[in-house]
Amino acid sequence: MNIYRYEESNKWFDRAVKVIPCGVYGHFSPAPYAPVEAYPFFSNKADAARFWDVDGNEFIDYMCAYGPMVLGYNHPAVEAAFQEQHSLSDANSVASPRMVELAELLCDLVPVAEWAFFARNGADVTNLAVMVARAATGRDKVIAIKGGYHGTSPWMQAPGHHGTIADDHQHVIRIPWNDLNALDQVLAEHGSQVAAFMASPYHHPIFEDNVLPAEGYWQAAIDKLHKNGSVVIVDDVRAGFRLHLGGSNEHYGFKPDMIAFSKAIANGYALSALVGTDALRLDAAKVFHTGSFWYCAGSFAAAIACLTTLKAEKGPERMRVLGEKLTSGLRDVAAGHGYTLVVSGEPAMPYLRLADDDTLMLQQAWCGECTRRGAFFTSHHNWFLSTAHTDGDIEKTLQIADDAFKVIKSEFGH
Amino acid sequence: MIDQLKARLNLKAVLRNVELLPEIDDLSRELIKDWEISIRLSIWRDTNILLNFHNGRCTFLADTIEKGTVSLFFCSAAHLNNMMENNASPLPLSGFTRLGFLKTEFSKLTSRLEYFLKPPSDVVQDDRHKMINLSLALSTAVFAIPELLQLDPVSRRIAPQLSAGTLQLSVLPEGPYAYVIYDGKGGAKAFTGKAARPEALLTFRNPEIAQLLVDGTLDSFGAVAKGDIQLRGKIPLIDHTNVILDQIPKYLQ
Ligand SMILES: Cc1ncc(COP(=O)(O)O)c(C=O)c1O
Repeated sequence: MNIYRYEESNKWFDRAVKVIPCGVYGHFSPAPYAPVEAYPFFSNKADAARFWDVDGNEFIDYMCAYGPMVLGYNHPAVEAAFQEQHSLSDANSVASPRMVELAELLCDLVPVAEWAFFARNGADVTNLAVMVARAATGRDKVIAIKGGYHGTSPWMQAPGHHGTIADDHQHVIRIPWNDLNALDQVLAEHGSQVAAFMASPYHHPIFEDNVLPAEGYWQAAIDKLHKNGSVVIVDDVRAGFRLHLGGSNEHYGFKPDMIAFSKAIANGYALSALVGTDALRLDAAKVFHTGSFWYCAGSFAAAIACLTTLKAEKGPERMRVLGEKLTSGLRDVAAGHGYTLVVSGEPAMPYLRLADDDTLMLQQAWCGECTRRGAFFTSHHNWFLSTAHTDGDIEKTLQIADDAFKVIKSEFGH
Repeated sequence: MIDQLKARLNLKAVLRNVELLPEIDDLSRELIKDWEISIRLSIWRDTNILLNFHNGRCTFLADTIEKGTVSLFFCSAAHLNNMMENNASPLPLSGFTRLGFLKTEFSKLTSRLEYFLKPPSDVVQDDRHKMINLSLALSTAVFAIPELLQLDPVSRRIAPQLSAGTLQLSVLPEGPYAYVIYDGKGGAKAFTGKAARPEALLTFRNPEIAQLLVDGTLDSFGAVAKGDIQLRGKIPLIDHTNVILDQIPKYLQ
């Protein structure tokens, strides 16, 4: 099997660090790639479920742009819709009718949605959701989950990290996932100050197994929060439209007050949405939140095409089946080499971990060996399936995984 | 609190190097060869350390009830910090007869320590010198971590996020090595050498890379991307540790 080298990627990185802090920052930063030499840093080309790095190496992409790619890169219907709108008008001085059409579509698809508000990035709408909840309740505090990610605004960051101050976290109370007692405790102590509870529909932290909601967890939490007069926000930025087109809460059978979407909504075009119930419409109207690019119409057209295609193709179901095939196949390949691969989270966005080594080093070595053979696996974040992945891709991935296990077995034993 | 933390860092991270120095520097080893003495430094209502010289070696103890042959007392953290900056003398509590020793012999050792701790640009260095400087810098850094976790406001906010685990810091090909064991309850213990079973590895390709980082002149992100610094295992432990280590210059120059 061909082992990839990344000379061009490294040359670009050398140029990048001279003019960009970190060279490549944030979630694309090479820092968490371990071993870093197994990973490409730059790509100029992507199509369907694949991308090619600047050295010409081809990858089956299991990160899907960290979620936005859901129908495959260059999806014809989405590209056509975007291009048509873009050539008509994208940036403009007044709003686009596409925005209204997309809001109507969301109100139709998503049972909780009685209104929709649009922005560009996930954090734009997780922040908006908190502002709406505070406006609606007149309260300060937000309960969130330990290890839950909602973006990089100071209040969302890990306390103590560079650029944040202690006051940023003054009104954020983090409790463990699936822990109703902890919720009771916070409500008992701070109830009259709690504006909102924000959590992803299931727990998908990095570096840890992902955890589905315990039976009855969400409904019980909602009952307690509503009794307390607090607003329930689902951050569906990562999972939204991969598990269920009505919002991931429908997949688990509960109804929050607001849902934040982004990532998969427009198959890679920049868009996010906050949807909510009628009870919060006026408060949403009162909050001032906007951005220079939030009205660009190409993304609205792309989102309409993306969501209608996902619906027509039963996208979530297809991604679930593909994810099950991939993960059960990988588990078997691992077992064939004497390793135990633990799969957690949802099949359409699985989190994998080799249980034979709790330091993650074996897992990192295996993901690195897979990547330098053409299956782009990161070792600490959930992966993503798209409707563009094929059975053939999965077959090829299993061969790559098999080869990678042989290599790590000779290196690590087990 | 700043004075208190500074004093603890001076005692438990900087002066602690007196234990390591004779192991890596011939001249220091020669100096302490025949010393049979223990020196206790204590701060009123706070912490204390004991440097015990015996059989040509030095062992370091902290927060001990053991008495020293010589006992030096500081009426406050600021008093100790002043001494470290050469502006004050401690109050001798016992061992008056050994004060001459402190002034002459012991201060030779602390001057040697000071000499090796100086930034590399200040002194001409050969390879041996560079290695000693790096070993002391690494040791100071890891021994600072438990103190920072207790008293530095930023590190205290990091503390609850640190899961239990051992972080190994290594400079290839032949050291120095040091490690930190986090207890998962916000505390840590530091050691020099290699851990039996580290869960996170922060590895420098060579002493030059490590030195650049210590000097604060390395682009660490570029170095990670180039593989000059390697991260493995429980990377969040490394991330959090980096934030804690970044606090050291607030207290120690
Ligand atoms: C669950 C969740 N919420 C919010 C965000 C923030 O989205 P963005 O990076 O677009 O601001 C992310 C991004 O990864 C996410 O996964």
